Amino acid sequence: MTTASAPVPKFQKRPTPARKVNRAIDDRFGTQGAIRRNFNKVFPDHWSFLIGEIALYSFMILLLTGIYLTLFFDPSNVEIIYNGSYVPLKGVEMSRAYASTLDISFDTRAGLVFRQIHHWAALVFVASIIAHMMRVFFTGAFRKPREVNWLIGIVLLMLALVEGFAGYSLPDDLLSGTGLRIAASIAQSIPVIGTWTSFLVFNGEFPGENFIPRLYVVHILLVPGILLALIGAHLGILWHQKHTDFPGPGKTEHNVVGHRVFPVFAVKSGGFFMLTFAVLALLGGLAQINPIWTFGPYDPAKVSSASQPDWYIGFLDGSTRLMPPWEFRGLGHTIPAVLWPTAVLPGVLFTLAALYPFLEAKFTGDRASHNLLQRPREAPTRTAIGAMSLSFYLVLFISGGNDIIAHTFSISLNAMTWAGRIGLIVVPPIAYVVTKRLCISLNERDAEIAHHGIETGIIRQLANGEFVEDHRPKPPPVSDYPQVPTDRIPLPAGAADGGHGKGLAHRAGKAVGGFFTEETEKPAGDAPVGGGSKH
Amino acid sequence: MSAEKGPNGPAAADGDDLTPDSPQRRMHYAGYQGEPADKADQDSMSSIFKRTKHPVDTSGRPKDDSDPRAGGPDVTAGHGGSEVLGTPPNPTDSSQTPETSVMRSATATAQGAGGGGGVTPRAPHTAEYDRRAARRAERLIAFWFTISIVGTVGFIITNFVGDKHAQYYTPAMGSALGLAVGGLGVGMILWAKRLMPHEQAVQERHEFTSPQEEIAVTEEEVALGFADTGLARYPLLRRSLLAAGTILGGLVVVPLLNLTNSKPGKKLDHTHWVKGARLVNLQGRYVKLGDIAIGGIETVLPAIPVKEADGSLSYEPKLDLHSKADSTTILIRLEPGVNKPRQGRENWAVDGHVAYSKICTHAGCPVSLYEQQTHHLLCPCHQSVFDVPDGCRAIFGPASRSLPQLAIAVDDEGYFIARDGDYTEPVGAAFWERS
Repeated sequence: MTTASAPVPKFQKRPTPARKVNRAIDDRFGTQGAIRRNFNKVFPDHWSFLIGEIALYSFMILLLTGIYLTLFFDPSNVEIIYNGSYVPLKGVEMSRAYASTLDISFDTRAGLVFRQIHHWAALVFVASIIAHMMRVFFTGAFRKPREVNWLIGIVLLMLALVEGFAGYSLPDDLLSGTGLRIAASIAQSIPVIGTWTSFLVFNGEFPGENFIPRLYVVHILLVPGILLALIGAHLGILWHQKHTDFPGPGKTEHNVVGHRVFPVFAVKSGGFFMLTFAVLALLGGLAQINPIWTFGPYDPAKVSSASQPDWYIGFLDGSTRLMPPWEFRGLGHTIPAVLWPTAVLPGVLFTLAALYPFLEAKFTGDRASHNLLQRPREAPTRTAIGAMSLSFYLVLFISGGNDIIAHTFSISLNAMTWAGRIGLIVVPPIAYVVTKRLCISLNERDAEIAHHGIETGIIRQLANGEFVEDHRPKPPPVSDYPQVPTDRIPLPAGAADGGHGKGLAHRAGKAVGGFFTEETEKPAGDAPVGGGSKH
Repeated sequence: MSAEKGPNGPAAADGDDLTPDSPQRRMHYAGYQGEPADKADQDSMSSIFKRTKHPVDTSGRPKDDSDPRAGGPDVTAGHGGSEVLGTPPNPTDSSQTPETSVMRSATATAQGAGGGGGVTPRAPHTAEYDRRAARRAERLIAFWFTISIVGTVGFIITNFVGDKHAQYYTPAMGSALGLAVGGLGVGMILWAKRLMPHEQAVQERHEFTSPQEEIAVTEEEVALGFADTGLARYPLLRRSLLAAGTILGGLVVVPLLNLTNSKPGKKLDHTHWVKGARLVNLQGRYVKLGDIAIGGIETVLPAIPVKEADGSLSYEPKLDLHSKADSTTILIRLEPGVNKPRQGRENWAVDGHVAYSKICTHAGCPVSLYEQQTHHLLCPCHQSVFDVPDGCRAIFGPASRSLPQLAIAVDDEGYFIARDGDYTEPVGAAFWERS
């Protein structure tokens, strides 16, 4: 082994096992550059960047719990007589899909908790996608060069809705069967090809033949596969293009400031995955969701009042409820009213959302690449459009539960429907105007503070008798990173410690005091006055 | 942890033989901002930063003295010696920005795609210079990891020992799992926040646009390759390939149409009702005149008359899913004189009993809420309202068509039957082929 001619570099003397593995891999693939490059990748810190992570982690939890559920779920339309341990349904005829869901809920170890985690994770998945989308929209993160990731995100959202709908339709309970019936009616409503579409999807006239195995393949293979591939592309593009960041001290269009992937970002993200999982596990264990045993097996002749889809389908339910009975009839054909709110409307909404980055670039003429984010107020028109879209969505969403609201508050259901119909037309423009005005006013206030400083509330009388209010300059931007306060810094006597005691009370007092005073107390009195750097 | 153990970061492991305190060594530590003002400062600094884990130069190879990182003019220390000691800079001091204190990383730029950048440690947190604080943080983190262990063990025990039919089972499983992953999560985040050095890493972004020459060369190469294929030169090749590809794409129709053997045809126009079928309720009992009180309703399905071999008539109730999906009918007994039959339907009702399809003409839900006072039927799915005495006309909500009416009669034995057979129009949601 030891040859005198080959000088062995010192650091190769006693490689640890981990280094041995590393070198073995490197001999074959040449990984060192990539490892160092990727471990040193910098990710910026901001709470709003965590929303997308929640979506990613709930998807991973969906995969994990979903795999467990597939081991016990029997996707079959075959009718059997239930003889499990849930007494109220004993002897009832039901599909094996429903019976096996009951078995998962009552007779499988860890079955119910994983089923409920799965359902909660689905709700959180879609919610975090939409929140993430709002973050990206309102901060302008979709601008060049990130339009492709915006498009992928739109497709991910649509697929998440489809996946969620397919998932809660699988147990074949009364609620999900009712949802499927509506889906069949929607498919049927498409002009020219509708009837065929419905027959092809359901394998015949609703409820069709062996539809559940079909739905099962869509739910566990087709859509998750596409989701997985697209999420991979989404993250790959993000990794390649580097994350956007808010402007701040030291941050420019040409750098990223934050933590490197290894170790801080990786450990923090791993911890965040665990926390997401923990919240979903607690929800799944403690908060009942979709108790299908109380709904009973699907029966096309039955329906329960206050039938509600999962929340993310609610806006389509709402649009369906608000739609006036406008059915086109003529030339021997019919275009049903249900087509517009359930197929055309989401198609238009998603198309507009997908096109938005390109429309904005076209109308503003801004074709530059952007890596720094904007505050919502900095783009009043965009923010106003976002608020308008959100209010439109919210009116639909609230109308999706208008029967429950009417019942809870003893309002006439017809009044609720009419309020929704009128609100859908009236509220979004109001939201647009109000938001735009608000953004512009906030900008004006920012500009005024930048020019004249912050009002101190101190009124002085000048020699000529004029009263003026003292302004002090806006404090220079503070780094996003909290500078760690320690007892090592000698605190000025009497400052920051508002006479609190010792230990915890002392620290709590300091923390709270800092919260209220940091805006007004920080800048030193001898700083240059007047925000001169602005001019 | 202590200073005596010496640096154990990657630079130390690489084993260059500089003394721990030499300037050459310390300049590899991120955030090294020049020589401290005096010896005392230097000592205290070494005690603080000796364990810094983030040397910028991971290769550990010291550069020569002309390296700009060696505290030269590129690196502007924003503060005096005391700043270097680890005292947090004035938070509002904008001179202490990454731009001014960043150190270019030679190794990162060496990789080209990696881009330049550097790492500045932020003000150290207590744990970094206070051994007791570090121990406290370590104990706290270990506590959370222990919680995780407790949760995992609890989950396993509950799973195998617990009674899965008991009330506590699922909440206990969820809570234990929550502790198991949550403890790990909280511990990991505390670990990163309390024990890992705070840093402010800066990485350069790079333009995605390729240089003009590269674009030109690439496009030229692709164009040459395309020319080599001959697609431009041989039109027959091009056209036949295009035709073959298009027709092959049409193959997708095969699996698509194979999805069903059941052609729509006129199936949506018909239900399972036949002439003379008895009205059977969901429990399988035939409905007789007088079974329903005034203002009452009953959901009924057809019981198909079957001629037995001996000539007698028996009835076969259709209670399967397919019958229920299109033949479900609601039989309502209105108060006498309330019903206002439509023209031509005067004889479709019997003694105030009217029968209408229960399948909503909007989206196919069963219309199941009957309001006795107003004689309205409400669909719980989308709140369409139908006025029963007025031929079940749609009076509110998204439904636009009346519910189809089934003509009924009473047979010799007093049972309700379908008088004329099937509905005269399709039931349920509308579709393209419907006139």
